Amino acid sequence: MGILSFMADFIDSLAKRHRLLPWLLAYALLLPLPFVLTILFNEYLIDLANRICLFILLAVGLNIVKGFCGQVTVGHIGLYAIGAVTSAVLSLEPGGFGGALGFGWPIWAAIPTAVLVTAFAGLIIGLPSVRLEGAYLALATLGLGESVRIFIAVTPALGSSTGLMMIPAPRIGSFVFDSFTSYYYLVMTAAITGIYFSFSILRSATGRAFQAIREDTIAASVNGINVVKYKLLAFVLSAIYAGLAGALFAHMPPGYLHHNNFTVIEMVTLLLMVVLGGIGNVWGGVIGAIVVAIAYDQTKDLVFYFMDRPIVFQPLVFGLSMVLLVLFMPRGIGGWIEDFQRNRRFVRRSEERLSGTARNP
Amino acid sequence: MALLETRNLSKSFGGLQAINNVSLKVEPNTVHGLIGPNGSGKSTFFNLLTGVYQPDAGSYIEFDNINVTGKPAHYIAEHGLSRTFQLLRLYGELSVLDNVLVGYHPHTKYSPFAPFFNGAEVRRQDKIVKDEMFELLEFIGLAEHAEIPAAELSGGQRRLLALGRAIAMRPKMLLLDEPGAGLSPVNVDNLMATIMTLKERYKLTIVVVEHILKVVMSTCDTISVLDHGQKISEGTPEFVKNDPAVIEAYLGREMADEDIRAAMDA
Ligand SMILES: Nc1ncnc2c1ncn2[C@@H]1O[C@H](COP(=O)(O)OP(=O)(O)OP(=O)(O)O)[C@@H](O)[C@H]1O
Ligand SMILES: [Mg+2]
Repeated sequence: MGILSFMADFIDSLAKRHRLLPWLLAYALLLPLPFVLTILFNEYLIDLANRICLFILLAVGLNIVKGFCGQVTVGHIGLYAIGAVTSAVLSLEPGGFGGALGFGWPIWAAIPTAVLVTAFAGLIIGLPSVRLEGAYLALATLGLGESVRIFIAVTPALGSSTGLMMIPAPRIGSFVFDSFTSYYYLVMTAAITGIYFSFSILRSATGRAFQAIREDTIAASVNGINVVKYKLLAFVLSAIYAGLAGALFAHMPPGYLHHNNFTVIEMVTLLLMVVLGGIGNVWGGVIGAIVVAIAYDQTKDLVFYFMDRPIVFQPLVFGLSMVLLVLFMPRGIGGWIEDFQRNRRFVRRSEERLSGTARNP
Repeated sequence: MALLETRNLSKSFGGLQAINNVSLKVEPNTVHGLIGPNGSGKSTFFNLLTGVYQPDAGSYIEFDNINVTGKPAHYIAEHGLSRTFQLLRLYGELSVLDNVLVGYHPHTKYSPFAPFFNGAEVRRQDKIVKDEMFELLEFIGLAEHAEIPAAELSGGQRRLLALGRAIAMRPKMLLLDEPGAGLSPVNVDNLMATIMTLKERYKLTIVVVEHILKVVMSTCDTISVLDHGQKISEGTPEFVKNDPAVIEAYLGREMADEDIRAAMDA
């Protein structure tokens, strides 16, 4: 606790000088990560770090609609797929492998367009939320998300069973983001920016409206919140995150996409991140994404043989962890973070009161 | 010119006629009492006025010269009609300050996308609004609890917060559904005093549902009485108190006359 408080105090004092200082510090600390990973372990871990950054974007985005606004959605992975495939297809050269569609757009036009397309898809996935709640909404969004994947799987123009190959890497001038390390800077920047903006949303009237809807929809509407509009907005904002994550995934080395990246299992993994993170807590979600992504990576190839048949038990492990988490740690990591922050606030207030410097927050 | 007017307002739930052809006017700058036995339709009446329930065909509701019949709740709120709930419906996990900030929502001037494109403006406006809401919290005596989750307040504090959240939007009219429920008599008196000060300070017109008759009798300019969804009496406290229809319906047929007087004067 001591070291945590010390760090928190330090971050607070930085933030007091300038709001952005803690963020810049975090950014600076994360810059040398690829070199550290290469020296201590191997280059493959940079690829893992890159995928963690994408998962962070996904989890933080999902947290907006599920955590802030309380809408149970299981269609997020479908949005990720839409972002990825749109950006890939837009940037691929026409006449690619196996009848894959290609428009030959520059990547920096393809990515924002993919984000916009995904935002629109988010609006559509959000439509059932106008009428449905809880498990029914989950089912409806699950159906929509999964149908996106199946559509990709059966459409040769979108890669179908072979997947989309040789998706170009982004470039700035003559610099090409085609290595794990160079791509790391792209996705890490996106992840930090994504986290920053999710706090901006949370701490605005928009975020308060989302939370009011989560806490009590009727009270929210009586307080003048257009519930339908804000629910859809939450879906759209979270889709922007998913779309960006998807597009960045498409262009990540080796520039290959397959519909197996967007299955219900990935969706469960994503949910696990948010649940472990503690619904609604941004930092919890980030930590959840890191922990689950690493666990996912480490258990991916775990196979044991039963009567000479291989059994992959990752889905089992993940499913079970989900149940155990919900049962025994319903507030997730975010619960600890919130308790910690509240304790600190309490201590600070008592100190202020004792020293007579209490003032409005 | 009435601030609020209903004509032939009706609402049925399946076979139950919860509100039956109620026509009622509330004059500006008054305190209007709404009383009636349990289940007589008082809360349903509020739910109809605020757009939580949709009225039956043939109903008409006008607020501040606007036809708000069948309009969504947020639309009616934006036009200055605010309310509290019998069961409060606070945002339990949100801080006390955030609860009143949500109450202020209709006056937010930046777009919902502003956090993305114009964070500086969001912070600038939120700072001003927070100071203003903090003043409101000071006024109702919750300032020192501003940062704790609403769910952790005591019962009385929660009632105050519900009031604060309803006033945060600077409404023209405030509907209070049993604001003093569950409070001790002394606390109810304090609460009513606070409400009357708030009325002056924010120039409010108030409609109040209250079970404690003494409170209604002493604070209301006009009282309407509901029974089985119908308006059975209306007038000054003095008139309503002596209306045989009210005595009959409100206090039950079996109660003796003197008991009724005693209850009303209590
Ligand atoms: N959503 C609903 N669905 C079905 N019936 C309802 C609904 N809301 C209210 N009612 C019924 O309408 C009638 C009036 O209820 P209402 O809550 O308006 O009474 P009230 O006067 O506020 O009572 P109380 O003094 O106990 O608060 C009751 O019989 C109630 O059961
Ligand atoms: Mg009631």
